[in-house]
Amino acid sequence: MNNLMTREKWQTIKSRYSIYLVLIVMIIVCNLLNENFLSPRNISNISAQISVTTILAFGETILIIGGLLDLSCGSVLALAGVLSVYVFKETGSLSVAFAVGLLVGVLCNWVNGILVRRFNIPAFIATLAMMTVARGIALLFTKGQNIYQIGDYVWFGQGKIGFVPLPVVFMIIIGILTWYILGHTSFGRSLYAVGGNEEAARASGINVGRVKIGAYLINGAFVGLAGILLMARTNVGAPNSGQGYEFEALTAAIIGGTSFSGGLGTAGGTLAGAFIVGFLNNIMNLTGVDSYLQQVIKGAIIALAVGYDMWAKVNRTRKTLGAAKTSNERKEAKV
Amino acid sequence: MNTFMKSLRTVTAVAALCLVTATVAQAQNYKVAFIARAQADSFAAWLANGIMDEAKKYPDLTVDVMDSQADDAKENAFIENAVANKYDLIIVQPNNGEAQRPYVEQAVKDGVKVITTNARIKDIPGSSSVDADPYEQAAVNARLALKQVPENASVVVLNGPSGNMHADMRRDAWQKEFFDKRSDVKIVGEQIAHWNKEEAMRYMEDWVQANDKIDAIVSMNDNMAAGALEVIKDDPKFDKILAYGVDGTAEAMLLIQSGKMTSTALQNAYDLAAKNISVAHDLLTGKITQIDTDIDCPLVTKDNVAEFIEIHKKSGAIK
Repeated sequence: MNNLMTREKWQTIKSRYSIYLVLIVMIIVCNLLNENFLSPRNISNISAQISVTTILAFGETILIIGGLLDLSCGSVLALAGVLSVYVFKETGSLSVAFAVGLLVGVLCNWVNGILVRRFNIPAFIATLAMMTVARGIALLFTKGQNIYQIGDYVWFGQGKIGFVPLPVVFMIIIGILTWYILGHTSFGRSLYAVGGNEEAARASGINVGRVKIGAYLINGAFVGLAGILLMARTNVGAPNSGQGYEFEALTAAIIGGTSFSGGLGTAGGTLAGAFIVGFLNNIMNLTGVDSYLQQVIKGAIIALAVGYDMWAKVNRTRKTLGAAKTSNERKEAKV
Repeated sequence: MNTFMKSLRTVTAVAALCLVTATVAQAQNYKVAFIARAQADSFAAWLANGIMDEAKKYPDLTVDVMDSQADDAKENAFIENAVANKYDLIIVQPNNGEAQRPYVEQAVKDGVKVITTNARIKDIPGSSSVDADPYEQAAVNARLALKQVPENASVVVLNGPSGNMHADMRRDAWQKEFFDKRSDVKIVGEQIAHWNKEEAMRYMEDWVQANDKIDAIVSMNDNMAAGALEVIKDDPKFDKILAYGVDGTAEAMLLIQSGKMTSTALQNAYDLAAKNISVAHDLLTGKITQIDTDIDCPLVTKDNVAEFIEIHKKSGAIK
């Protein structure tokens, strides 16, 4: 009996935390492949490298759980970033520039939310339109040219608190915020309900439209912040930056167990997903793997990681259903 | 009757004058389409802005800029549309020369004058080209590096996208002019960073971890070189690192001035724009019928960087 319980507990841990198991295995393998892998500087580098896309991934996680999506985050990031840099160069104020970056992200995503809620445009289409519009405005505003000599603005991306790079600090704060919103607020519970079954959520009195707009506004603040961090990290206001970041963010969220059908996902899973991709890129560079081969390996390992995660979850569901069936049969036999 | 004849003569004279004016005006107003590779590419945007500025000097030219958004299909459609809309001359900045080749050939067959630029599409009879030689742009840096890079040095290489003519030819120049002649030099890291600063930063951060010493950064453009330098700018271990790029961006000029970057080859978008427009004008007015020409790509080092910084001051990129 005890054995059975321990086995069941192990199965539960394995299926719920399978993505973390993948991450741990990966850390062990990477450490065996390169002795520098676990050095504090390398870990700090990887964390800084993934910080921007992970912040975007937290936003995508919130949206996907609610049955939504944002394809515009790479472009909005660029727009928010260049406008923030521009304002800094004009005013010299870091706080005003920071506020402008956040505001631009929130405004663009407010429009996304309105398009989805009021006009019933599918999130895919609405954010695809915003992707083009935001990139266009960024290019129009800068005439396609980079903004150089950004001075103290680089502090956002290159500053440190102790030995921790500032983008990593922001990533941790946003991670905790996402975890709190999803797991400890009524908004988070509503979001899971809306993503799981919109009609049922509406029938149970949840204001679905408000939840959707709320999700976009939170995502907007995250995207604006990511834009500020990217421009500061690269020491340039680049209107063409962030291309393809939406897919990197989506990859991290999906690897982390966020279900595209909505209603499922966690902040911790997304962070693990982002680190899996980050570790993979890092170890391939440290070991000098060829550029083209890197793409093949990355794709294959992502498929393996997600495949294992899905298999573990399906296995768990099957076992739960099997156990319930046996218990019902026993009850029927007693009757 | 006399009055009628006088009126008729006046009307005829006015009509003839209008006709002549219209014909002359029509003959002197040439429509030019500049089909840009991607306005999101900062060099392409710099070139497009330069072309628009330069065209203002020719009152008989009207230039329309079209953005292909780094998409072959879009660029080919723009070429077809420009022919259909009876543009007198098309300047094509190819996204992928071979993909645009049949469309440029068709445009030439349809009687439209075509210039290919940055990079040229070779061997299309009847078309002209204005370019900067990508081999030479990298070669001037490689020849300098031949003297500067220490013996048994470890270097990292940052490449542009594979299949891009400028990326491939610049890498080829480094191979022939430097690596083939310096067998003592070891490449400890080489990756494609897609001309992108952030991507180059990520690679450099990893290379710095994996290698105790890196003596030089060989980059196929300035943006990637600047990204690699961003990573090590505060690290005294890399105080003497050499860094080579191509393009002559404002950022590279400032890095060279401050002694952080070693050299670049200037690919001056203003010169390219000025030459494109002057060749376009000469083709349209019949001064020439065909030409293939290159702009210079001067080597920029700390010794001569001041004069090139002025170019960027003029554009407002440096204040």
